[in-house]
Amino acid sequence: MEKKNGNTSLITSNQLRWFYYLVPVAALIIPFVANEYLLWIVNAILVYTLVTVGFNIIIGNLGQLAFANTAFFGIGAYTSAILMVYGGVPYTLSILMSAIVGGLAGFLASVTALRGIRLYYLAIITLAFGELMRWVYLHGDDVTKGSDGLRIPDDIFFLGIPLDSEVPKFFVFLLLAVLLVKATSNLMRSRIGRAIVAIRENEATTASLGIHTARYIVLAFVWSGSVVGVAGAMFAVLTERVLPEAFGLTEVIIHFGMVLVGGTGSIVGSVIGAITLTTLPEYFRQFPGMDELFFGIIIVLVLLFLPKGIVSLLWRISPAFKERYYRD
Amino acid sequence: MEPLLKVQGLSVNFSGLKALSDVTFDSFAGEVRAVIGPNGAGKTTLFNAISGYVPSTAGQIFFKGEPLHGLAPHDISVKGVRRTFQTGGLFPEMSALENVLAGLHVQIESGFFGIVLGLAEAREAEREGILRAKRLLDLMDLGAAAEQPVKDLSGGQQRMVEIVRTLATEPPLLLLDEPVVGLSPPMRDRMMDIIRRLAGEEGIGIMLIEHVIDLVMSGSDTIVVLSSGELIAEGTPEEVRQNREVLEAYLGHA
Ligand SMILES: Nc1ncnc2c1ncn2[C@@H]1O[C@H](COP(=O)(O)OP(=O)(O)OP(=O)(O)O)[C@@H](O)[C@H]1O
Ligand SMILES: [Mg+2]
Repeated sequence: MEKKNGNTSLITSNQLRWFYYLVPVAALIIPFVANEYLLWIVNAILVYTLVTVGFNIIIGNLGQLAFANTAFFGIGAYTSAILMVYGGVPYTLSILMSAIVGGLAGFLASVTALRGIRLYYLAIITLAFGELMRWVYLHGDDVTKGSDGLRIPDDIFFLGIPLDSEVPKFFVFLLLAVLLVKATSNLMRSRIGRAIVAIRENEATTASLGIHTARYIVLAFVWSGSVVGVAGAMFAVLTERVLPEAFGLTEVIIHFGMVLVGGTGSIVGSVIGAITLTTLPEYFRQFPGMDELFFGIIIVLVLLFLPKGIVSLLWRISPAFKERYYRD
Repeated sequence: MEPLLKVQGLSVNFSGLKALSDVTFDSFAGEVRAVIGPNGAGKTTLFNAISGYVPSTAGQIFFKGEPLHGLAPHDISVKGVRRTFQTGGLFPEMSALENVLAGLHVQIESGFFGIVLGLAEAREAEREGILRAKRLLDLMDLGAAAEQPVKDLSGGQQRMVEIVRTLATEPPLLLLDEPVVGLSPPMRDRMMDIIRRLAGEEGIGIMLIEHVIDLVMSGSDTIVVLSSGELIAEGTPEEVRQNREVLEAYLGHA
């Protein structure tokens, strides 16, 4: 290990790696100290962690203004719910299907970006795609049960474990979140992740390095769609009823807020964003009528004082917290 | 000697504007070939056409006997023709090391599943890439700047990083668009030195666009002169220096 270039920080990147591994291990005690309600919030955080990690790949790493991720989330939720309700498909398998269908939705969204539709055009098209999906849920009565939502069965199992309370859900969600966050982190710190960021930085010159830019734009969208699709499958089980309202424009703002408040292009930031914008609004619920106001205020304050997100506070503690696009 | 690059009757039009008309020349391995000409002469357009960034209107381009025209920029790069850009070629938020690693992309042989699952093979391929990138940066005295975002580096360091990034895969042909612009005179000499060494010792074919006539005269083997999109002269520095047409079209303005 070399420690040159005046990096006299308190924390080395090696120590930090162990810290990252310890976080999920330490989290294992949560079910033993938290009540059902708190545990429900923690489970929601795990779901939103994956939503934000997936969304951040598009916004932060690839740098595209595509807002289809909330739609991927809904597609993942409905895929699992429909398979379980009508097909009696085991939950484990429906999670996989949500990943695949979410990835397909990601592929579809990438086609718009590939065809040179960018910036506000990409933004509006992807937002419209989300609204279109919501219309499908609302009007697909026979299957989706419209605005009543689709109630998922009571007897859901994950590899034989009944998911009948928050505790078993917590362990399953933690496992899924850890696996997908780690896989995404591996991806972003490899030649693939570098190609994706290079496209954000300068798409034209990226090609001059022999990088097939279209391939990596598609890959970013498909991976993002799969991760968020799995989050959707978790969300279906968390809320026990899949409703069209859960995937509307307000949710797009919440998800986008999580990305920005945590920090764009940062996995640690994604986790922070998910925690912040899940817990604080939950806390503000005791002030009915004011909660949306508080939500807006948090986003404005963070972006005003920490334009790079809350994760930038960690960078002040140690530059080792800055994520790099390689692993040493 | 078999030419590395053959450009035959190359023309590029931009909605009526003839940026290049009927340009023909060969370029060889181990040769430093300068492309000179007044502003707007079509020098960058020539590089853009060779590297696939603008479509040609007429003519053909062959690299090692294989046609390049019609190929996408990334395919041409993979074939071994790599270039730098007149401005803004780097990835500003990425560190010098990450920029060079991106340059090594096609040589780091780690597959999708190996990367996602963190398999040993993939990690080994990445590690080799990192070692190579660090070695290259050290070689150019950029080791200390490796971890910094390139936007925080000096203009000279940035130029160097872009050249290292482009060179990383040891391409047989290198197109450098004004590589010494904005460098201090000592840095400039150093860069020209490196360019001469790459051609002389590594046998790389180098084409470079340059405005400073002294550097061109002392640093290149062959000079191609463009004026209003036409190739008006080609030859050794002495030959070009004595060419009347060149004196009128270009040196007179300098
Ligand atoms: N993509 C393009 N679309 C339209 N016109 C272009 C394009 N690229 C270049 N041109 C025009 O073609 C001509 C040649 O430009 P080019 O950039 O090749 O000149 P140059 O010799 O590199 O000049 P300089 O020394 O200023 O870099 C100019 O008139 C320029 O405006
Ligand atoms: Mg130019």
